[in-house]
Amino acid sequence: MSEILRVENISYQYSHRYVALNNVSASFNAGEMVAILGSNGAGKSTFLLCCNGVLRPQSGEIYYQGQKISDSKKDIYTLRQAVGLVFQDPDSQIIAGTVESEVSFGPMNLRLSQEEVEKRVDQALVQMDIVRYRDYAPHYLSGGEKKRVSIADILAMQPELILLDEPTASLDPQNIDALEEILHGLRNEGITIVLSTHDANFAYRIAQRAIVFAQGEIIADASVDEVFSQTETLRRAGLKKPLLFEVYESMQKSSTALESEKKPRTIEEFKNFVGV
Amino acid sequence: MFNVITALLIVMFTGLSLYGRVSILLLACVSVGMAVFLTYFNSHSHNEELSIDIMAQTSRLRDFHPVLKFWTLIALLFICVASKSVYTGIFLSIMMMTLSKFAGGLKLHNYIGVLIVPIRFLLIGGLALLLETSPEPMGIVNCNIFGIWLCVTPISQIKTALVISRAFGAVSCLCLLSTSTPMPDIIAVLRKAHCPEFIIDLMYLIYRYIFILTSLHHEMHNAAKSRLGFKDYRTSLRSTAMIYASLLGRSFQFAGKNFDAMESRCYDTGISFLQRDHQISPIQVFVCAVIMIVSAGLHFLPL
Repeated sequence: MSEILRVENISYQYSHRYVALNNVSASFNAGEMVAILGSNGAGKSTFLLCCNGVLRPQSGEIYYQGQKISDSKKDIYTLRQAVGLVFQDPDSQIIAGTVESEVSFGPMNLRLSQEEVEKRVDQALVQMDIVRYRDYAPHYLSGGEKKRVSIADILAMQPELILLDEPTASLDPQNIDALEEILHGLRNEGITIVLSTHDANFAYRIAQRAIVFAQGEIIADASVDEVFSQTETLRRAGLKKPLLFEVYESMQKSSTALESEKKPRTIEEFKNFVGV
Repeated sequence: MFNVITALLIVMFTGLSLYGRVSILLLACVSVGMAVFLTYFNSHSHNEELSIDIMAQTSRLRDFHPVLKFWTLIALLFICVASKSVYTGIFLSIMMMTLSKFAGGLKLHNYIGVLIVPIRFLLIGGLALLLETSPEPMGIVNCNIFGIWLCVTPISQIKTALVISRAFGAVSCLCLLSTSTPMPDIIAVLRKAHCPEFIIDLMYLIYRYIFILTSLHHEMHNAAKSRLGFKDYRTSLRSTAMIYASLLGRSFQFAGKNFDAMESRCYDTGISFLQRDHQISPIQVFVCAVIMIVSAGLHFLPL
């Protein structure tokens, strides 16, 4: 798997607050689906803002496809285009008066031709299934629809990696299901997904790898199964084990025959697992 | 309450401006009719600034070429203001109401609801123009207040009719524009007209933020209300002050986040969005031309 983004020893401190990121290193490879876990204020959002180039870390380096990102505008724009960031609250991201113009904002900033912008906007609207809202004003859309618009915003810039900050926050269960479908779809199209969340159940269902943040530091970076079996790590990060994971563990304790089975991550997998 | 005052103002204004020109019976019918018409159709409107946006979003005239629509209405506004005949204003007021009802699909009470604020203002201004003060009675209607005579003269009637018809015609043009054209379309027209970039950018952001901050205000207001924040006058004042202070703080926060989000999408200088080219149909041009010619032609009709 080729590496897309690598951060090395980055630190960031907000002027008025504690250290938000302390000597953090991680790398993301093409086609991965990574969950960044941590409680509120653990440094997840700051980490994503640094990965996208909006915040410049006070120390440490960022590499995009092996190339070091310098302070030059060109490098930063390359990073921002290749690594898209979907903000937690769509209202703090959406600025235009119609959905179509909103989605066109990114491509227009890339100074693309009119035809290319039109093509990308159309494509992103189709991908997110919001073509019918093209001429709608964003303030008349529901939370789930706004979330789709905010993802379409980034898709239209055709990034290789998409960072999503707390994508499930303020979404209802139905919209969370729809979001999961969207994320799987994007992954099948070859886009790397990195999402931050404190919802362990969601992360367990969707991600293969998990990075755990606590007090601005990475305290674990491993496969999801491995991370959720580290009780001490989860306690430090203020996280809970996913429900199904815990159920599986309890069942495993009562029966040794379960060891070879694939752990169930969704309710459907669990039903198959117990033969219902 | 406002409706009653408006109705009384309408009766007074129409009565005084037509007194002596039509028979008393007709005068009474026209005044009361106007008052009933406007107050009845206004009885359903509320929250004007936001509902205008919904009207514009859903108007059938939304797809009318925005550049043609905008400049035609602005031109009509100038024709109306420059006109020396009351008929231009009357024609345009009726035309705009008809267009928004039948071409735009807007409900009449929504249209009147938008117009009622400027109408109240015009009525008060109209009364001031209509009434002249004089040491002795000299008009067709005279009223003595503390030794000073308030008179309505035929000249003041004509003058007022002209001013009010011009103003009402012009307001109607703007009313049609704002109830049939969403703000982003108007901003796009202004950009094409080479309005300075920073003003355009500000307009886009202000438009967006009106809605975000209004809904935030609404939530905060409800939250304060649920904690008895408006139980009496003193508490209401305190709660209102606190809501606005925290709204200011929140808007700074929002602005910061919004700027980050813009930067993360490679924002550099100037906000630009995709503008698709609208097709101008010959019918649209024809309609605009006819209305303009008729309005300009009415200028030559004597009062």
